[in-house]
Amino acid sequence: MPLLSGLFYSFFKSLVGKDVVVELKNDLSICGTLHSVDQYLNIKLTDISVTDPEKYPHMLSVKNCFIRGSVVRYVQLPADEVDTQLLQDAARKEALQQKQ
Amino acid sequence: MVLLRSVPPPSEGVRHEQAETTAVLDGKGLGAGTLHVAETRLSWFDGSGMGFSLEYPTISLHAISRDLSTYPQEHLYVMVNAKLNDENEAEMQENAHDQEDEDNSSEEDECEGITEIRFVPRDKAALESMFSAMCECQALHPDPDDEDSDGDFDGDEYDVEEAAPEHGQGDIPSFCTYEEGVSGLTAEGQATLQRLEGMLAQSVANTFHMAGVRTDEANGEFDDGMEVDAGSTMAGQFDDADVDH
Repeated sequence: MPLLSGLFYSFFKSLVGKDVVVELKNDLSICGTLHSVDQYLNIKLTDISVTDPEKYPHMLSVKNCFIRGSVVRYVQLPADEVDTQLLQDAARKEALQQKQ
Repeated sequence: MVLLRSVPPPSEGVRHEQAETTAVLDGKGLGAGTLHVAETRLSWFDGSGMGFSLEYPTISLHAISRDLSTYPQEHLYVMVNAKLNDENEAEMQENAHDQEDEDNSSEEDECEGITEIRFVPRDKAALESMFSAMCECQALHPDPDDEDSDGDFDGDEYDVEEAAPEHGQGDIPSFCTYEEGVSGLTAEGQATLQRLEGMLAQSVANTFHMAGVRTDEANGEFDDGMEVDAGSTMAGQFDDADVDH
């Protein structure tokens, strides 16, 4: 497993139960509660709502979904739930260790 | 490949089969058939042999839909990240490949390339099993070429034993394919390789111990990573800096 991906796997696991917004590469944004994440950063959300229902009306009726990790562009996180300092430090360490 | 008209449903690795399931492709009903959730691909075929298969990497998301005010029946919703067209699937597949090659910021080309499929089983109680089976199979097909991931050299799985020749990543000078031979590395490179392998093993071990709860456990994991490595090759890398000539 790649190192930084392992880092974010652990990080997302710590956010299970929090509300996030997942923006996909096809511009669809999905609000929901983070139910689980796996090592490939596939994401399961519950209680979802779609931020662009006009474009994707079929998604309105969906409650829980599984999102393939590779189609995720961004994951928006609640600011007060993230220890950004810790995350920066951890990412910096991992990046330094990967450099030649 | 996205849409395969002539490939029959797989007979092995079938996690879930659901008969009496109607397929609705972009609003167009295809009638009743059987959904096969197999480890290799997702397929649906009616009794006459007409149907289609989907490769898991093309499935952006899937979900259970239970809100009857939006659609009159509970069903399994599947979003495919390509535009599926009955007439010109081959052309569409080529387009998809072309776009991936040319376009690093693939923001615009995927806007229009969406297909929404509904699988409506007669037995609504089966929806949870269908959903779970798809989740499991999706996890079996991680993306091999995920250029958007920060820090990933070649995507979701980095295995020194079979370091794939992902030549698209050639702009990272330190990347060395296993085929070139570990002996092609300098002594420093080999030491770094050993250290990385150790870190990978440790990262996996630490991941399994993570309970998904933040705070002290997370701190411990990051600190351990640093401590283990600081004493070895890092010092070696900085040796030259310490030497005064």
